[in-house]
Amino acid sequence: MDRKLALGICFIFGVIMFAQYFSQHPMARVVNQAVLEYWQIIFAFTLLVGVASFMKSSFRKMRKPSDRPYQILGLLGLISMPVLALVWGIKAGTPFMWMFENVQAPMQATVFSLLAFFVASASFRGFRARSLQAAILLGAASIILLSRSSLGGIVSDYLPPVAEWIRNNPSMAARRAILIGIGLGSLTTSLRVILGIERTWLGGSQR
Amino acid sequence: MKLETRHWTFLGLFVVITIVMLLPIRLSVPVSEQTQKMYDFIESLPPNSTLLISFDHEASALPEIRPVGLAIVRHAFAKGHRLIGLSLFAEGTVIGYRMMQNVAAEYGREYGKDYVYLGFKPQYIAAILSMGESIPRTFPEDYMGRPYEELELLRGVHNYDDVAAVISIADGSLTTHWMEYGAARYNLTVLAGVTAAMVTTYDPYIASGQMYTLVGGLRGAAEYESLIGREGGGSRGMLAQSTAHIYVLLLIVLGNLIYFRTRRKRGL
Repeated sequence: MDRKLALGICFIFGVIMFAQYFSQHPMARVVNQAVLEYWQIIFAFTLLVGVASFMKSSFRKMRKPSDRPYQILGLLGLISMPVLALVWGIKAGTPFMWMFENVQAPMQATVFSLLAFFVASASFRGFRARSLQAAILLGAASIILLSRSSLGGIVSDYLPPVAEWIRNNPSMAARRAILIGIGLGSLTTSLRVILGIERTWLGGSQR
Repeated sequence: MKLETRHWTFLGLFVVITIVMLLPIRLSVPVSEQTQKMYDFIESLPPNSTLLISFDHEASALPEIRPVGLAIVRHAFAKGHRLIGLSLFAEGTVIGYRMMQNVAAEYGREYGKDYVYLGFKPQYIAAILSMGESIPRTFPEDYMGRPYEELELLRGVHNYDDVAAVISIADGSLTTHWMEYGAARYNLTVLAGVTAAMVTTYDPYIASGQMYTLVGGLRGAAEYESLIGREGGGSRGMLAQSTAHIYVLLLIVLGNLIYFRTRRKRGL
């Protein structure tokens, strides 16, 4: 019964949202706005579910002594930022802002920057012209890489136009094919969900 | 501890970038067509035009995305346009707010009259669609909790029909949703400032006209800085990035030389 109810709600809202897209009737716009507002409210609750899930997972991992300090640090971060925001606010000069600008942002940027080191190492160890296809990929990547630096035009006047050609032709053709594939896949999956054929989102078995 | 090959490559990158950044080198970057188009768009708008600027990125991309956003916001304020800031990523909220505050102070712009910050709204697709119907219903208050109708700038802004365009400053694919839902359904003009890694993702959208143009990565930021005549970190960042690119290219060449030499020795 529960599953039938969920499938019924999904079907009704799917059809309504699909139909209203093509309508300019005031009633359709009112329905659209109301549904969008509820969508945002529901999504805000999923953030709470995320917080609860993170806490649950952290407490479970805390049983292992070697992981305990990291889990405590993670939980402290999770709790301290909202507390700082609620107590002192989020304006410039508040503890929340200080933590964000001097702890959170630099830490995230540092982790992201490490990618450059891994790319450097991987380019040396893995980027080899082992076959014709690999050699073409290697050549195209090198041209793009050089053209994106400031030295592209200095090395050769032909380099920037060649890089543009690669971007505008083979690269874009492949990208378009992927995007069209994603679009068609999304369309069919949506139809399957609305019509109740695809039921994995309900959890459990497909029956 | 014995240093392995990968440790030497890490160390080499660190040393090369450190040396280059210590030298007073200035790179000249030719302005690309896309960056020029963004500049011309902001230039061509009548004074007092209203632009939406959405900070759709996380803190991790800050070193690359901040110069892009900074150059665009500076240009918009310098031209006397009015900006409505918002974020569809929780982390971008504070970053965008601080950036708009700082740049507004540089140009003597007043909060509520010349710029407003609406803050964060969860679920970006719903937020984009909802703003197309009604911005005041989507954001009844600004970031600081002031009612929408009390802010002078917002009194005449009801939905996308009342803004010239949206500029999405993004480190991922969120700009796609501005095009799919904002542009496709509400005819919103979409422009973007994105990280270099995302540039090719948006090429088909620019070619098809779904996106007006974009400023891409540190190179785009450096180009934009040269157009507006203000340094903002893009040019210096571009120096580090160009050095890293050359270093990676040299490593690729070296790796392949070793590979082919080893193959020849083995008689393959």
